[in-house]
Amino acid sequence: MATSIPSIACLGVIGRHNNPLHTTILPTTTDPKTGAPAPLRTPLQFSLLLSSTLDVFASRARHASASGTLLSGDFGLLHAVDDRLAAYGWETNTGVKFVVVVDMRGRTLDRTGGSTASSSKSAAAAAAAAASATGVGLREGELKVVFRAMQTAYVRLLQNPFYDPDEAAAGAAGAAALGKRITSRKFAEEMRRIGEVWVPGSVNAL
Amino acid sequence: MDEYPAGSLDHNLPLLVVSGLTSGPTKPLLTDPDLKEQSILIRSELPPLDSREAKTILRCIQEADATALPWNPQDGDKKHRFKIKTIGRDFLLPPRRARLPEDFEAPLSPPVLHSPFSPLSPGSTLYPDGLIDTRWLSKHQELIPSICLCFYSLTSDPTLATLHDNQLKTDINALKNAISRSGYKCRLVAVIMSDQAPDSMGAFQERLENIRWGTGLDPKTSLFVLPTRRSETELETAVDSILSAVFVQASEYYRELGRRSRKKKGRGIAPQPTIPPTSGTSHTLSLQGWNVRYDFKAGVFAEFRQEMDVALRSYEQAYESLFGQDVLETVPSWSPRFNHGRLVADTLAIRILRCLLWTGQSTAAVRRWQAHRARTSDFLDRRGRGTQNYGWQAWEARWAQTMANLIEKVEYPELAPTSQSLFRPPEKALSAERLQPWELLHHPGYWYRTAAQHALDRRKLAHLIPEDSRRAPDVSEVSKSAAKAYNSFDTYMCPEPYEEYPLDGEGTNHGRQILTYLNSARTEFHKRQQVRLAADVALDAAKELELLKQWKQLLELLTPLWRDMYFRKEGWLDATESLSWILRRAAVEADQADLVVALDWELLNSRYSQQPNWHYDLTKSLDNVKVDQRPEITIRDENITSFLTSSFVFKHDEGRAGQTCPAQLVIKSNAFPKSPPVVLKSIQVGFEGSVRTLHLKHVPNSGQEAGSRKILVTSVGLKEVESEAQDSDAESESGNRSTPSVILQGEDDLTLYPGQTRVFQVDVPLREAGEAQASEVTVIVAPETFQLAYSMKLREDNAIGLWYTTTGRVKVTKINAQNIKVLPRPPKMEVKFINVLKQYYAGEPIHIVVDIANEEDIDAQTKLDVHLYGQDVPAFKAQVEDGDSQASTGEGEEAKLNGLDAGTIGTSKSTKATVIIDPINRPTAYDLTIKAWYNLVSDPATPIVQIVAFQINIVNPFEASYDLVPRLHREPWPSIFDPEGIQAVTEEGEHEVPSQPMGLAQKWCLVTKFGSFATEDIRVLDLDVKVLETQGAARCTVSKNQTLPADGLTMAPRTMEEARFDLVAQKLSLDDRAPSTADLAFTIKWQRASGDRPATATPNSTTFLLDPFYVTVTEPRVLASVSYSRTSSPSSSKIPSTVSSSSSAGAGAGPPLILLDITIENPSNHFLTFGLAMEPSEGGFAFSGAKATTLNVLPVARRTVTYRLLPLVSGGAWIRPQLVVRDKYFQKVLKIIPTEGMRKEGDGFAIWVPDNVDEDEKAVGGERTREGEGDVKVESS
Repeated sequence: MATSIPSIACLGVIGRHNNPLHTTILPTTTDPKTGAPAPLRTPLQFSLLLSSTLDVFASRARHASASGTLLSGDFGLLHAVDDRLAAYGWETNTGVKFVVVVDMRGRTLDRTGGSTASSSKSAAAAAAAAASATGVGLREGELKVVFRAMQTAYVRLLQNPFYDPDEAAAGAAGAAALGKRITSRKFAEEMRRIGEVWVPGSVNAL
Repeated sequence: MDEYPAGSLDHNLPLLVVSGLTSGPTKPLLTDPDLKEQSILIRSELPPLDSREAKTILRCIQEADATALPWNPQDGDKKHRFKIKTIGRDFLLPPRRARLPEDFEAPLSPPVLHSPFSPLSPGSTLYPDGLIDTRWLSKHQELIPSICLCFYSLTSDPTLATLHDNQLKTDINALKNAISRSGYKCRLVAVIMSDQAPDSMGAFQERLENIRWGTGLDPKTSLFVLPTRRSETELETAVDSILSAVFVQASEYYRELGRRSRKKKGRGIAPQPTIPPTSGTSHTLSLQGWNVRYDFKAGVFAEFRQEMDVALRSYEQAYESLFGQDVLETVPSWSPRFNHGRLVADTLAIRILRCLLWTGQSTAAVRRWQAHRARTSDFLDRRGRGTQNYGWQAWEARWAQTMANLIEKVEYPELAPTSQSLFRPPEKALSAERLQPWELLHHPGYWYRTAAQHALDRRKLAHLIPEDSRRAPDVSEVSKSAAKAYNSFDTYMCPEPYEEYPLDGEGTNHGRQILTYLNSARTEFHKRQQVRLAADVALDAAKELELLKQWKQLLELLTPLWRDMYFRKEGWLDATESLSWILRRAAVEADQADLVVALDWELLNSRYSQQPNWHYDLTKSLDNVKVDQRPEITIRDENITSFLTSSFVFKHDEGRAGQTCPAQLVIKSNAFPKSPPVVLKSIQVGFEGSVRTLHLKHVPNSGQEAGSRKILVTSVGLKEVESEAQDSDAESESGNRSTPSVILQGEDDLTLYPGQTRVFQVDVPLREAGEAQASEVTVIVAPETFQLAYSMKLREDNAIGLWYTTTGRVKVTKINAQNIKVLPRPPKMEVKFINVLKQYYAGEPIHIVVDIANEEDIDAQTKLDVHLYGQDVPAFKAQVEDGDSQASTGEGEEAKLNGLDAGTIGTSKSTKATVIIDPINRPTAYDLTIKAWYNLVSDPATPIVQIVAFQINIVNPFEASYDLVPRLHREPWPSIFDPEGIQAVTEEGEHEVPSQPMGLAQKWCLVTKFGSFATEDIRVLDLDVKVLETQGAARCTVSKNQTLPADGLTMAPRTMEEARFDLVAQKLSLDDRAPSTADLAFTIKWQRASGDRPATATPNSTTFLLDPFYVTVTEPRVLASVSYSRTSSPSSSKIPSTVSSSSSAGAGAGPPLILLDITIENPSNHFLTFGLAMEPSEGGFAFSGAKATTLNVLPVARRTVTYRLLPLVSGGAWIRPQLVVRDKYFQKVLKIIPTEGMRKEGDGFAIWVPDNVDEDEKAVGGERTREGEGDVKVESS
């Protein structure tokens, strides 16, 4: 029998002014016609989904400032949009937000054929072990490794002297200036790699 | 949830019938005509109570109705939950046994009759193999009360008491009997109301006891006395306590029923129906089915008792049995019992969910929700018609909606809109598990959204229904297609395919359904300030509205969103774009011309994705839109982004009024590459501050090939015109129109090609001083069909200004380049200092000349302000050539002369002003500032200022040092033996004292050395020492010892000069022998040697104050003085030196004879004896005179001893006589003080042996020598 385990469906980097900086969409399902791996939603839907997490960021920040509690970077589960997709969030202290959208049934582990979408055998094995031990849920904080990896990649991007974060974050100046996204190919590749490599229960840095 | 049969899902509450409190009409409990026919009437004969108290009590009871309460265990103090029905005095109970069908032939044995709601009774809808239905539920919830609460009154009239009480007893007993006869176990509770107060009830105790005995009711549980003479709140409490007590009874009642169900289940056999089924399959309900029925009943009864955990267990059991082997699995999918079974399963599942939610197990509830879906889906895939049909999606949508409704009913405080949390944390027992995020119970908005998603899927699947099935069965070959449809479509709680999506006519309104779900979701999201998610949902809703062609609604939904949407503000382009296109389609349909234009304007930006086959031509925007009049649209960049960006750059930070500053207006188009160029009608740049509005007009340029160029820099000439002349320009602001104001106008071709950057270079004339900034750029597009004004704010965002050059290169200028600082008109009056000296010295008056030259084109009326700053500002005056003069006394740190009128200076003329500062005595520094205020004759209102400053450094021209050496006063001392000499003091008195001092006189020589510290030659004209003051009754006179050359002594920088002054001090009185001091001042009169100044000018004088010197002493002293003689013979010693010197002139060679006089002064009152001892010299000199002698000196007298020395050395050397003068009495050696021509050497002294006496005498000063000679002569004689 096939077991479904969570996998990352979408990674989003959102700037200080709530402007989208980067989106990586990963296939977590198969196209019913061709059988090829396909994303669960359209890019627009993912975009809207990422945008909707900003409500939660804002609400938590409001709540935190009202109650005087300081927020740590990890926002944990932001919300689950349905029984498959759930968004987890992280905010750096410069206001850059990382959002991971997890498809709770993103990977199918067949006892016979191995994983369909997973990238490596060891990852699949680890995931299988995790799945068999406790079912296919997620614990709070299990995505920390992903956020850490994303942050590392983002920091690496910032270290690039040719990347101007202010240009990308010039949101307050006017709507016209918005829409500048991260164009670094290396960053995009790194995001995709993070999205592909992660399996529930990953503890080592990605 | 509303789609499920009414009552099937309600939370069960004990039914309480309240009888006897109202006489008005009430709703009968039993309405079903079939059941009514056989119903059992329960009636009380006593009239209902109709008092005021009765009404109050009825209201209290009705308020206690718990049907509308949320589905959670409110931990309030209410101990009871009831569903309350009010009746008059009678109600009907349903029949216990069903009747036999009429056509039934009497069997052999009498038939066993069952309840009309049981599948055993042939008349029941469940007969013969149904499980359970809502009618059974409603029987217990609506028809059979657990408690019948009867109200009676206790009369207080003693005459009627017995009669009344007996009536009461009879009635209660009759009721009791009627109920027990009916077979139902419902409890009768009597409440006897009395119009007395509670504490006066003792009087009625006997009567009440009597009633109790007569009716057999327990006063604790079923007979209550309610005195009504008390306050309303007390009454309420009393009613409440009765209800609480009754609730225990009700629970007891349902517990009994539950026990009965369990007992039946425990029997383990399936009961046989009254009549075995003869039609259909003759299938009867299996034992498992019966178990489901019993468990369901047990669960419901537990729920009646509000024991939700017990109910949960029973429901779960029923659920498991239902999906177990022998119940649903055996039902064929074509059978109506199949869907019926599913309904029971759903009902059970929902009741289970409610129990879980009730007990706070929200995560378990979500899991249960999912489990039921999975189970149903699995079951349908195996036994039913699968899940790939609209029926399943309809169920899914309903299932999600059901959850949303449940959550709403439960009212978790964690999910309240105010709590800010979107989902409920898991219950403690599960929090350590790996949870699915969805298992944290989210608020209903998410569930509605899921429902909407399934509704969408349902429509998709409905649209896939083949045409055959969509035809109504009576039209086509009935049996065949109907059967086919029946087999392939799941119609559980949804219409047949030909009704779902008929070939012709209206089917299920999917859009409406989806919208309902979406709107519910949107409301929930809005409540929790999830604006972006709400917008997302709105977008989905808009798509539905578009399908429904509800343009107006669509516009109402999206227009406010579009105006200030987060997506645009935060740069979510795809969302913005998607929304904009939907809105545009709607706007076209609804003929909203302004919206269409604004949308087209926004969508022209190439950062959006290009729609294929779209013209992107603004002029064609309104092609399919009906407009009444030409719309004029004004939009701002705060709301709508555009493909145009603008900037305005001043080349310089600062400019001056009256000049121009080059500036560039940059308009950059980011339109889609293939779109036609946009022709702007005009561009306006608004400024804050003193710069005038800039206005560029479009003038088509025929020969323009400029479209190919990416950056096009054009130079535009500007004219200052009054804006009233701009009548043709409709866009000029109303403010401008009413008051004539000047604008800057230019003309150029304003065609903007896609991707092009237009740079308009202008020279902005600056007119007024102050800060100015370009604040807003407005472009106006006016094709034939509409006019659009788009304003872009130029914000202070510290962005770097770019300056385009015609070669296409871009230079970075500065940040916030739209700002300029306009300085006032530059002064063209030149003010400068002329003939300024390098160095100014203390003691000289300072003349500074200022030249004021008017280089303006117009005559200027000028005034001067002279300011002098520094420490202790001296007095100064300022004078304008041929004009005003002012003087300041100068005090403190600052002195000013304001408004010195310099008159009108003609153009290219000049005038001079002189500032004269009084001499200053010390080195210091001053700042001299001269402000020239002037205004041009043509513009007297605008003052213009020119300022020059100069620092004056003042140094001392000289430094000096002083030495006071004693000399021998040649005058004889007054003799105490001469009365004339000393009498004068006593005779003349004090007032005459200064004129004729009579005391001892002593002589000194003041040696001053002064050096020039000036940087140039200085001519010293005179030197002078003044006695400023003497201390200690003495008179002091100074005489100059030397004379300077007549034209002064010129001193080069850094040279030293010496001057000697003789100083004679005489005590006023001979008796006064105290020492006295004198304060002296040394003055140098000088001029600068560089003779710019006329020699007649008053010389400057520099004065040095000397420290006080002792000018008379009281101690005896020994003064040595020397004179020379050529004569070597001792006899010639008495020859005056003039003679000897004249003779010596002839003598020529040979060492001179040196006369050494040792004068001992004794100014004291003591007679002193001194011993003199002269050591012979080895080869230095030979001497004549006493080698050792004793000298007695009288008080106030002096004596001189002369030695003749013959030097043995050749001339030009020093000899050192070893002479010791000792005070005999004090045995103290006195120091011998050398005078002129001698020098001090160690303790002793040295005498100069000259080569030539003449020379030496000259050097020493012959006059004095001669006097000394005479003195010696007197003394020695």
